[in-house]
Amino acid sequence: MDTVAPSRPHTDDLRKRQRRQRVADDVARAIVVGVIVFSMLLLLLPLALTVSMSFDARDYLGVFPPPALSTRWYAKFFSDPYLLNGLKTSLQLAALTAVAATALGLSAAVALERLPRRYSQPLMAVFLSPLVVPGVVLGFALLIFYARVGVENTFLRLLAGHVLITFPYAIRTVLAALGGIRPSLIEVAQSLGASPVKAFWTVTFPLARTGVAAGAIFAFVFSLDDVAVSIFLSDPHRYTLPVALVSMLHANFDLTIAAVAVLIIGASIGLMLLLDWMVGLDRVVGAGYYRT
Amino acid sequence: MPPSAVLELNHVSKRYGNTPAVIDISFSVQRGQILALLGPSGCGKTTILRMIAGFVEPDEGTLEMGGRDIRGLRPHERNVGLVFQDYALFPHLTLEENVAYGLRQRGSAKDAIGDRVSEMLVLVRLEGLGSRRPGELSGGQQQRVALARAMAVTPEVMLLDEPLSALDAKLRQQLRFELKQILQAAHCTTLIVTHDQEEAMSLADEIVVMDHGRILQHGNARAIYDAPQSRTVAEFIGRANWFEGKLGPAVSPELREFVTSEGRFFVPANALSQSSAGESFCVRPERLRILAEGLPADEGMNLVQGTLLHVACLGSEIHHAVTLESGRTLICVEQNRDQTIPAAGTRLRLAFRPTDCIFTA
Repeated sequence: MDTVAPSRPHTDDLRKRQRRQRVADDVARAIVVGVIVFSMLLLLLPLALTVSMSFDARDYLGVFPPPALSTRWYAKFFSDPYLLNGLKTSLQLAALTAVAATALGLSAAVALERLPRRYSQPLMAVFLSPLVVPGVVLGFALLIFYARVGVENTFLRLLAGHVLITFPYAIRTVLAALGGIRPSLIEVAQSLGASPVKAFWTVTFPLARTGVAAGAIFAFVFSLDDVAVSIFLSDPHRYTLPVALVSMLHANFDLTIAAVAVLIIGASIGLMLLLDWMVGLDRVVGAGYYRT
Repeated sequence: MPPSAVLELNHVSKRYGNTPAVIDISFSVQRGQILALLGPSGCGKTTILRMIAGFVEPDEGTLEMGGRDIRGLRPHERNVGLVFQDYALFPHLTLEENVAYGLRQRGSAKDAIGDRVSEMLVLVRLEGLGSRRPGELSGGQQQRVALARAMAVTPEVMLLDEPLSALDAKLRQQLRFELKQILQAAHCTTLIVTHDQEEAMSLADEIVVMDHGRILQHGNARAIYDAPQSRTVAEFIGRANWFEGKLGPAVSPELREFVTSEGRFFVPANALSQSSAGESFCVRPERLRILAEGLPADEGMNLVQGTLLHVACLGSEIHHAVTLESGRTLICVEQNRDQTIPAAGTRLRLAFRPTDCIFTA
């Protein structure tokens, strides 16, 4: 304060400006908090409503709150062969997709990591392009393509389509994990007598495996969730659960959909918790794990 | 190739695009010798280390290890022990597994691996910590694990890249001796790459000073410090007070005059025998002696008049900055021996012997 004291009027002016600034900051903070709360309500209210609907004992879409609760929609789901068939396909598909997308993602990520930037950047753009192409476009394109090429097996069609849309997530998580591994670790392994392949399996892979697992879980969840691509590639006998739900929505609407939705939400939350427990969600998207 | 040279580089060059990284490098390391490549960052010393380890191939020249041409061999086919600045310990393995890694890759028998690992852990004094993970160790301990891991496979050459620079100053000094003892106890032929002159001088039997991809001087620490062949070496290793001028006539069979704008000095008569142009010489700070005004100087000493600018006591040493009448400032270092330290502003004289004058190219 001593150094400012000689010019008092100046100080008063400064104080006034600081006060105005503080008010402006408070207003800005209130707006930010408001927007966050509003967005969260927008996201969470429909989910909450879905949960309430899934336990609604009424036969029709009635007003909130439901007069009585029941688990009849869950019971109906587990006794409906049409939906169960979809669930079976979805789970098989998600599991195989997770394995295939992760294996491909791992190989691609390793290659991208080793290539010079001028090759890896455009390749990366190609690998990630399924993220920017709308699912509907992708689904339609695949349908035409499979017909031309002569892929008849519906499950194979679905699998290839799902691998295509989940593969970018696998690449990203594996790349993040690989990026966290110091190159000196691999160099030391090689100088200790490990061939490049051995160095990969004894050093790179063990250090990247959390990222690999995260990629697999992402692929599983996104495969389970997809409608846009699957709807083009399904047929009346082989279809995924979300596709079954959509067609149910058109044909005979009832609250089984809500029950299934809640089950899917539960499964997703479970997998995300698993992911968080395994790697920490921040690490999947954040900085490398093994840089100290 | 001399019979005892374990590692020999002959006229090795490497360029990246149009930028030469290493130019015409030749040196050899004898069995059991510790040699340091010393130079500022970007001088090419790390490129040389990476060429020996097999991560970089030289454009020109030959690389021999144990009498065998190792060009074209991949890193895992060469027998070198690498220790990186960041130690590069495998975080997912225990200490034992880290040290055993190289032996496992070589397919040694399980019992032999166990014996060798405990032997190495004793050597680096980490016995009993074998089941810990690298993250649970201090920096100094990690460094020793990295050393043990590299030595476990009995490499022909140990390559140490800035082995101590990740540690704090105190620990670094302590570990220097320890590192040297460990390397000597195991008779390791070692190449150390460092930018730290103290590290090089305290660890190495021989030092190769590098700058801009070239070797400037090759010799032991004393020779490089006392007889630097170039101004760059004189300034990179230690500190130097320079005097610019011209050689004058001989005054005796041993002495010549050297004329500067700051006075006339006696210098050794053979000053020009080396490649020196004879237009400048330097004196190391600890060779300058402070004489209070009025005190007589020894016979044959060079004297220069100045004013004490400031004094700093660094513990064992006292550093004096002395401004000459020409306005230049010289650095003078004395041991802390209970002497009276003159106050700043005191007029004094600096004395040095003719043999303290170092002429460089």
